[in-house]
Amino acid sequence: MAPASEDTLVKHSTEAATEFVNSFYPALQSNRATISSFYSQQASTILFNGNVVADGAAVQEIFVNQMTPTHYEVQSFDCQIINRTYPTPTATGFKLPTETTIKDMSILVIVSGFVRFGESRDLPQRGFSETFVLVPNPTADGPKGKRRREWLIQTQNFRLVV
Amino acid sequence: MKNGKARGRPSASDRGGIRKRGAAKKVDREGDLVMDGNTTQARAKRGRGDSVRSGASSGTRSQTSTRAIDAIQKAISSNSESQQANIRQGGRASNLEQVRVNNWKGSKAKSNPDGGQESLIAFLEKKLSPPDARASARARITKVFITSVVLSDVLSFSVMSRLEGDAIIVSIKPELLNRMLQLNGFNFAGKILEIEKYDEAGIDQSMLPVNGSTPTAADTKAKMTAFLAKRFNRENKLLDLSDLRNDPDLIAMGIFQSTSTESKFFPALMKVWELNLSLVFDSPAARRQAVESVSLRANKLENLKMVTTLAQAFPDLKNLDLSHNDFKDAQSLLAWRHKFENLELLDLSNTPFSADPTFKDTMLKWYLKLRVLNGIEVRTAEELAALKKSPIPVQAPYFRDEGCIAENFIRAFFSGYDNDRNGLLDSVYDNESTFTLNINTAAPRAQQADVAAWDAYIKNSRNLLRITHLTARMSRSHNGAEKIRKLWNSLPATRHPDIAAHPQDWLIECYPIPGLVDPTGQSPTGVGGLLITVHGKYDEIGKGSKIDTRSFDRTFVLGPGGGAGGVRVINDILCCRAYGGNEAWAPETEGAAQPAAQQATPQQSIDQAAVPPQPVVGPPATPEGYGMPAPGKSETQVQQEQLVIQVMSQTGMTLQYSELAISGNGWDLDKALQDFAKLKEQGTLPPEAFLAGTV
Repeated sequence: MAPASEDTLVKHSTEAATEFVNSFYPALQSNRATISSFYSQQASTILFNGNVVADGAAVQEIFVNQMTPTHYEVQSFDCQIINRTYPTPTATGFKLPTETTIKDMSILVIVSGFVRFGESRDLPQRGFSETFVLVPNPTADGPKGKRRREWLIQTQNFRLVV
Repeated sequence: MKNGKARGRPSASDRGGIRKRGAAKKVDREGDLVMDGNTTQARAKRGRGDSVRSGASSGTRSQTSTRAIDAIQKAISSNSESQQANIRQGGRASNLEQVRVNNWKGSKAKSNPDGGQESLIAFLEKKLSPPDARASARARITKVFITSVVLSDVLSFSVMSRLEGDAIIVSIKPELLNRMLQLNGFNFAGKILEIEKYDEAGIDQSMLPVNGSTPTAADTKAKMTAFLAKRFNRENKLLDLSDLRNDPDLIAMGIFQSTSTESKFFPALMKVWELNLSLVFDSPAARRQAVESVSLRANKLENLKMVTTLAQAFPDLKNLDLSHNDFKDAQSLLAWRHKFENLELLDLSNTPFSADPTFKDTMLKWYLKLRVLNGIEVRTAEELAALKKSPIPVQAPYFRDEGCIAENFIRAFFSGYDNDRNGLLDSVYDNESTFTLNINTAAPRAQQADVAAWDAYIKNSRNLLRITHLTARMSRSHNGAEKIRKLWNSLPATRHPDIAAHPQDWLIECYPIPGLVDPTGQSPTGVGGLLITVHGKYDEIGKGSKIDTRSFDRTFVLGPGGGAGGVRVINDILCCRAYGGNEAWAPETEGAAQPAAQQATPQQSIDQAAVPPQPVVGPPATPEGYGMPAPGKSETQVQQEQLVIQVMSQTGMTLQYSELAISGNGWDLDKALQDFAKLKEQGTLPPEAFLAGTV
């Protein structure tokens, strides 16, 4: 296929990042049972303050069972395309660069904001910085036309910075 | 309008174009104000009628001190505290010219809420602008402050001071100075302006108390200064404002003879304090640190109305004595609820409120760092630490480098970015590299210090929360070394701390990621690379000697390529924010001293670069908790980690290589060890595959 134009790529990637940021942080805050659905099955490194977490299910387990109520506030975020011909997994292997579409890209997302651990608004605001790599969900176009998340976390690194 | 910078009015053009230079009386044709002193018909849009005129300045007051304080008060109320502080600081650092404008008070614009200050500034700006100037080209007055007092002696609090009435000091670009001085004698809304160059150093010559100012005001000012000198213990950083009613000097001044003087006294005192302080301490930080403790003991205070300005003067206060006062309840202290974030010690003993059952809990809630309340420890050091702790324990950086690629890259990158951005671009950026920048202007900060403006960055900030139009999103993405070069050369010069000398200022993490473009096209399923995240700070070197410290977060994706060290930068994404310190990533030390994680971080390894590596004895180099069950770790992972440890101990290879060896052999230990023996025999394992001291 013809390579996608620059504006299509920027539109696609920034909308993906926006959609992700607008749904992931609210989920961490108040919809923790859905957390694992944000992660790729092939998720590689997941880090919270230097702690390695195995996979999306483990992240969800931690947030559901161990985390105090947490308020996240995203103050700034940005994204870039890492690979515009990302080898999305298929039933038989991986998509080759010639088979990829506009949806087959990997996206780097960086988020800056603050977090409050606990319910009271008087608690201190801790600055955080978080980096994600998002990859296409190979099964987003599921059967029965049921849409799932288009983008999944391949890797994540959260750090308190203030 | 933080700096009190006057807004240009919408109809900016000087329609009449009347510029009779040198004439004493001028008529402003713009319509906002009637400039002719004889015209009584007010066309002033902003005027609120004449009622204020009679109310504000007339009336006879018996106390001379009332008048004096009143004069101070007037200046204070027309200008906010923070504004004043900023301006003092800004005026010094920049190379703007300062001009004093006198005799503007009492103009026909005086009934405006700000006493006509904004109108005056707008008037001056218009007069400074060429008649045909478009709005964008109009002259601007960048900084304004009203001064009520200027103290003569920079180093002592005890010398005579002078009230400058209601002069306004404005800062303008040097090229505007001549034109500004020509405005001397112009008529502003009925007042003939006196405009002269303002030179702080020259004040001493005009110090003599003749100068048209109210002697009683000057006298009051001097007495307040002397009073503060008496009550301030510089060594202990203590300002003792206790039992003011029994202070003979204040009694002599008649401060407590009427409620009017009493209510004005304290704000005036704080103002005198600030003006003195700004002359003594140059940096805002030094000013903030000058006082750690304040006592307001025994002042019959029922609420904070009178003393509330204290919170602006001392935002970083650690110790506050409010004992022996009449505060009844939390409500009476409410004005300081969100002040004094760093308060550690608070004394409210012998106040009615401290008997309230909710007293302790309320104060603990208000002041998160409060340690001692009414002389009793209310938070232990552990509790304070726990409050700071996040539910996610802070660990040492996770750093999984491959053959020192990331380490070498980081080391070269930040010195290159500081010293030779072009060279850096040439060495590791190519036509496919992407750089973007976003500014978090609202990020939490380490101190309550002012944050330097982001002007130099903001037009390139790609904060997608704010930048929502596709064209802007595109134009703020810099693709390819040449576009990045153009941007980098326009960004302020920086100086990052040396990683080896100041490892604590950095947090650098790194690990491999899959699925990158293979620039050679040989691997259709992509190649692996490294994701590097860096958190740290830098000094921004502005024009002149100005240096601002800021914090940043920067993420890189490195892929294999033709650049220096065999890498290329695929992505470089930078977030800048106000300085936030480095405490957040200092690993928490819990319980018995466990051996620190032995993974080499660049902070450590660069630090130790000159030192021969320590031979590893005992447990091999694995991060803390590796191979151990932990929340969030699956059973499979624990088993795999234990297998990796076995490979490490039997082969002497690093964690990464051991992991590769065993995962590449389907987690079969025997196979992995056989494989290892074969490769070792062939000599194909690189030296860095082995732990230090094992080869």
